[in-house]
Amino acid sequence: MSDRPEIEIAGLGKTFGQGANAFTALQDIDLTIDTGEFFTLLGPSGCGKTTLLRLIAGFEAPTKGSLRIGGEEVAGKGPNERPVNTVFQNYALFPHMTVAQNIGFGLKMLGKPRAEVDKTTKEMLALVRMEAMADRKPSEISGGQQQRVALARALAPRPRVLLLDEPLSALDLKLRKEMQGELKRLQTETGITFVFVTHDQEEALTMSDRIAVMSAGKILQLGSPSEIYHRPSVRFVADFIGETNFLDLPVTAVESGKATVALPGGTQAEASLPDGLTPAVGDTVTTVIRPEQAQVVAPAEADMTGTLESHVFFGTDTYLHLRLPGGEPFTLRRQNTVLADEPEPGTEMPIRLTPGALRILRE
Amino acid sequence: MGKHGWKWLLSAPALFVLVLAASGPLTIVLVYSFLSPGTLGGVSWEFSTEAWFRVFFSRDIFDPEVVTWNTAHLTIFWRSIWLSLQTTFICAVLGFPTAWFVATRSPHNRAFWLFLITIPFWTNLLIRTFAIQELIRNSGTINSLLMWMGAIEEPIQMLYTDFAVLVGMAYVFLPLMVLPLYAAMDKLDFRLVEAGYDLYASRWRVLRHVILPLVKPGFIAGSILVFIPAIGAYVTPRILGGGRTMMMGNLIGLQFGQGQNWPLGAAMSMLLLIIVVGALMMYLRVVNQGGGERRG
Repeated sequence: MSDRPEIEIAGLGKTFGQGANAFTALQDIDLTIDTGEFFTLLGPSGCGKTTLLRLIAGFEAPTKGSLRIGGEEVAGKGPNERPVNTVFQNYALFPHMTVAQNIGFGLKMLGKPRAEVDKTTKEMLALVRMEAMADRKPSEISGGQQQRVALARALAPRPRVLLLDEPLSALDLKLRKEMQGELKRLQTETGITFVFVTHDQEEALTMSDRIAVMSAGKILQLGSPSEIYHRPSVRFVADFIGETNFLDLPVTAVESGKATVALPGGTQAEASLPDGLTPAVGDTVTTVIRPEQAQVVAPAEADMTGTLESHVFFGTDTYLHLRLPGGEPFTLRRQNTVLADEPEPGTEMPIRLTPGALRILRE
Repeated sequence: MGKHGWKWLLSAPALFVLVLAASGPLTIVLVYSFLSPGTLGGVSWEFSTEAWFRVFFSRDIFDPEVVTWNTAHLTIFWRSIWLSLQTTFICAVLGFPTAWFVATRSPHNRAFWLFLITIPFWTNLLIRTFAIQELIRNSGTINSLLMWMGAIEEPIQMLYTDFAVLVGMAYVFLPLMVLPLYAAMDKLDFRLVEAGYDLYASRWRVLRHVILPLVKPGFIAGSILVFIPAIGAYVTPRILGGGRTMMMGNLIGLQFGQGQNWPLGAAMSMLLLIIVVGALMMYLRVVNQGGGERRG
């Protein structure tokens, strides 16, 4: 992966309709995607991620802003004039063509000589392990196979950027896991920039180099999977990805980049701050901490104490649902590394938080 | 009555329709075509192949042994086929963009456009045909307008020509092309069109390589639906073609009317049926081929 920008987006906006019916799907997106990056747009349906993808592909024209691919402004260029190919959500394979004809279509339209089309088609069939299916029609192969053909078809013209619109959502769980690995392998092998759209946070976390979390037409946070997971900066991101405890706590001290808050029960704890946020001492801030970043410990080591209300056994882990002294709910995820007895409801549980795991949100 | 008897009874309405309403009249026509004409219309019950002979050939008035092709009949048959093919072609060319326009409207607006397209269906055919006559006759709207504009000095003879029949038939049968085309386009997955653009195809090449192959069943169904009634058209050539541009339907009508030769009319009707069945079989063949392709 190099740091050469592949896609540069500045002030990009898209509004559908006019007047009272106008709906702004995207507002002022600024975004740079690097060459060879596996970039994911993550968000719930209706957040604008698919609109952004369609703007990059050229299926929609932006209302404002600029969009450069490989350093070249592409506004006003059709999808057929952009070095970008798309893997559609339901694959959109041409039903009247064979698997091989589907894969060769892009090259044929680019006017490549027949020998080259055939050669590349063969290579692509091998790349996605579909050599045996070359002469079948899309209706005669399984969903997973169609998915691979759609990938091969989009990769065959060797685009600068491959756009993937929730390509795995139609597959069952096992196949989806398999295809996640396959996609990652293809991306590494070809070195093509992948822009991947999904609403599945797990998919995003496992596959991406960087993730942009989107909501209501805006990018809320941009960062590596671990940044997004461990250092959410707004409530939506913390809530959308993984499970989270939210605690409203008073600030007792502020330093550069971090603050000290008072936990329920009075213990002081350090919490990290999003860039540019400096709360004042005495402010109440919303903090988040993941259930696995709290442990049940001996009373002497505890940061705070919670009363057990219920527990849910998951095999590898047990979720302990506690109530803190101020009445706040708190969930703790205990890894079952030892064969502990399941605790009784009502038990007082001393809790220690992983140092540095507490995070203050920008709200 | 046993169990099967009941089932038989339940299928009675269908059998009634099939036997009496469909096969019955057809059988009568077939039988009539092998009888001799009665004196004042009707038939006389003597077996004869003369009617079938006369469909294609004529005998010299003075010497019945001298046989020549009946060029009058053959010209009319050929004109019927040729005009119907042209009508089908015109309907396809006009119908495709029309159906495309409707299919690409929002679902809410489609019903409205489809309604507009089907309105002529609910208007009497005679009235519509007279309306066209009014437009194209020598002192009609178009000629008057052109003369008023000074574009022409003399009215253009449009009425009572093949052109008039063609315009009339294309107008009357256009919805029969638009509707199946629309149905095919409605089923068309527009993401396939996007996929085509995405894979570097220009608009024309998307049309040629993606859209046309996928709406082909609509074209075939529409062509059949237009061709079959067109070749048997009666009212349109009668009014817009006058007596000069006759089609098979008019020729058949003539045999049962003024011609007073029912067996000849019956034989011609059977010939028309054979042409229609032939067209249908070609249709089925193309459709089955399409299915075969899909199966690989």
